[in-house]
Amino acid sequence: MPDGLDGELLERFVQGDQAAFESLFRQFEADVYRWIVRIVRDRSAADDVLVEAFWRAYRGRARFDPTRSFGAWMRRIASNAALDHLRAARTRAGWRTADDRIPSAPPPDRAIEESIAQAFRSLPPRLQIVATLALVEEQPYAEIAEALDLPVGTIKSRVFRATRLLRKELARLGITA
Amino acid sequence: MTDDRQLSHLLRTALPSVDVPEPSRDLWPDIVQRAGTRERFSAADVSVAAIVVIALLLFPQWFWFLAYHL
Repeated sequence: MPDGLDGELLERFVQGDQAAFESLFRQFEADVYRWIVRIVRDRSAADDVLVEAFWRAYRGRARFDPTRSFGAWMRRIASNAALDHLRAARTRAGWRTADDRIPSAPPPDRAIEESIAQAFRSLPPRLQIVATLALVEEQPYAEIAEALDLPVGTIKSRVFRATRLLRKELARLGITA
Repeated sequence: MTDDRQLSHLLRTALPSVDVPEPSRDLWPDIVQRAGTRERFSAADVSVAAIVVIALLLFPQWFWFLAYHL
């Protein structure tokens, strides 16, 4: 059995047994939380995304195949919940395209890091999540692909596009990368 | 240092890792509470349903058209 879990526990989870669900939550909470924190990079937001991810898992338990890895399935759900959080955060921040903005002068040294972070947050969420995991967290492409349920080729392509957009935005800010 | 590695280095400097091994508190009660909350219909859901009902009352012949598209 993948994850070294008891098959009966997974069957009970699929059938809606809350005690089985709590047992799985206790076993996977820390791993899923660390994965979410890597993506959203905010402790408070990670708490909310964790609750959302496990709630989605419970709601979608009938679609889980107990012969497969619960950890991998949970990580995919958590990645999608984190992606939705990035989208919502971007909407709240009032996203504008780079072309709409007035070109800015090169920032002072102490503001460079904030400018880079801002440029990074301006990436479309589906590119931002891949760039975070690949470029910042240096996770293997195969692992990212599994977590996002996408082919490795798509991950490579998104990393390439994220890199190109970031370079363009950093150049606009007067930062050489 | 290659361009890609330089970019990665810049990003890691600007976006320091958040080293938090576990949630700040026990989140299980939040999940139980969420599971006990009934899903509510959004205003958009109610609006669409109302429009469909009114459209069917006014134009019953649209039934199959709406059935296909909804």
